[in-house]
Amino acid sequence: MKMKNVILLILLALLLIASAVLRLLITRDVDGSLSLAMPEEAFLMYRLVPLVAALIVGSALGVSGMGLQVLLRNPLASPWILGLSSGAGLGVMATMYFEHVSGNAVLGGQALGAMAGALLTLLVVFGLSRRRGGIDPMTMVLVGVVVSVLCGAGIMVFQHLVPMGLRGSFTTWLMGSLPEVESWSRLGILGAIVLVGISLIAWWGPTLDAACLSDDEAKSVGVDLPKIRRRLFVTSSLLAAIGVILAGPIAFVGLIAPHGARLLMHGSHRTLAVGTALVGALLLLAADDIRQLVDLGTGRLPIGIVTSIIGGLVFLVLLLRGKGRV
Amino acid sequence: MRLKLSDVTVRYGAHTAIRSVDAGIDGGKIVAVLGPNASGKTTLLRTIAGLQVPSSGIVELDGANVTKMKPHDLASKIAWVARVGEVSSSFTIRKVVELGRYALGPSRQRVEDALAKVGLLSRCDSLWFEASAGMRQRAGIARALAQRTPGGVLVLDEPTSALDLRHLRMVGDVLRQCASEGDIVIAAVHNIAFALDVADEALVLRDGQLTLAGNSTAVLTPSSLGDVFGVDLAWATDDAGNRHLVQP
Repeated sequence: MKMKNVILLILLALLLIASAVLRLLITRDVDGSLSLAMPEEAFLMYRLVPLVAALIVGSALGVSGMGLQVLLRNPLASPWILGLSSGAGLGVMATMYFEHVSGNAVLGGQALGAMAGALLTLLVVFGLSRRRGGIDPMTMVLVGVVVSVLCGAGIMVFQHLVPMGLRGSFTTWLMGSLPEVESWSRLGILGAIVLVGISLIAWWGPTLDAACLSDDEAKSVGVDLPKIRRRLFVTSSLLAAIGVILAGPIAFVGLIAPHGARLLMHGSHRTLAVGTALVGALLLLAADDIRQLVDLGTGRLPIGIVTSIIGGLVFLVLLLRGKGRV
Repeated sequence: MRLKLSDVTVRYGAHTAIRSVDAGIDGGKIVAVLGPNASGKTTLLRTIAGLQVPSSGIVELDGANVTKMKPHDLASKIAWVARVGEVSSSFTIRKVVELGRYALGPSRQRVEDALAKVGLLSRCDSLWFEASAGMRQRAGIARALAQRTPGGVLVLDEPTSALDLRHLRMVGDVLRQCASEGDIVIAAVHNIAFALDVADEALVLRDGQLTLAGNSTAVLTPSSLGDVFGVDLAWATDDAGNRHLVQP
């Protein structure tokens, strides 16, 4: 690894630590004033849980986006291009509807609904994107868009069927939010899966590099394209699904984090995967810091809105700096 | 090293791209593949390079079916140069050339030698998306040079379409050197003068069928090529006494 990249990775890690410390210390008093202070032990958990969740979700979405951008040869690819968020949303909406109709809580609740919806969507997209024994990137993008639209229609059907009162909580879920209450064991398991997923994609870095050539050139230099595409699809999808399960559909992190990392460092996808994980975690944590600081008088903004605003602006800057090339 | 094509046919749905092609090529030869647009040149080269599975027939390299080779074996025996290279990431030219060593292990020396041979060593830190078409074409050739094993096969699809005269000569010299080290060099070209200059043998395709094959000076004549391309051609001699095919 080049020394410049090592220094950049260290700087990113330091920024991440600073952002995490800030998240722990930002305190908004009852009168609305801001201060920096360590919370009492009883409240510490409510800051540590979203902090750890932000690290897991941000890095997972970022690396998932990077994997999908290579898989689909599309710089605009993100976890949501495969219909993952709308699939998960449909799962949540279906869960809420059946809970409403039956009057009983569905085992696993909304998280299970989100996971089932996301996985079902991915299976459909994967099944319909296969051509000549392998994944066809262009077909996958088109199928993902169509499946997204269909899931969106399904969501609207369920929204129409549930009472008005339930629609608000679903809309909140759609905005994305970091959990403030979550069991450490669940966070630990999901964090471990994300760590393995990111490590695998980093390990496959040299293959991802060669897969950036055209299909013929990649095959000629020795890449087993069907194999690496299957691996990328499964791993990227799993990472994105964990992000959705923990925090709902957080926008733009999966799209922006890989571009942010590429802007900082040119090199192998092995280095880029680590950089993207750090940028993704930093983006989400910084967005969470910002939402603690901003008070519009109606409570804190959902984090999905903050990432959308930051992500949109950053993306525009990237587009303008790159003269249209992202 | 011997490359043998036996009754090779490739169909894309109802369209037959190449039909019943038989050919044999020995190591140390440069073979030019010519023909009008859509005559099947790229399909033939992709099939030879193991990138296209023939609908029928077989391509063998020293008796081994190239379409059944494992990716690593294919990379170690056959190097491919695409007409237009693609890179979907912000890599430098050097990084693109290094990808030629993906299956065979990194070699800084091989990469720098390859870059030097196509005149890109001083420009190798340029980003791919900032490079001109000619630089990209030379980078594609350099990648194949970094990958090739002497005595293997080098397959090039219109490798000179974006090159100026100096680099055309440079690439011609590179191909001759590869052939002198025992490579089979097969290149689709539209530049007949280049083909006459570097190729030992020529294959001429029309409508997917191999219509002419043999020694390049015997095959690439005004009458045969005029017939294939549907134009009038004649020899012209320049001041130095060199003969050129021209349209009168």
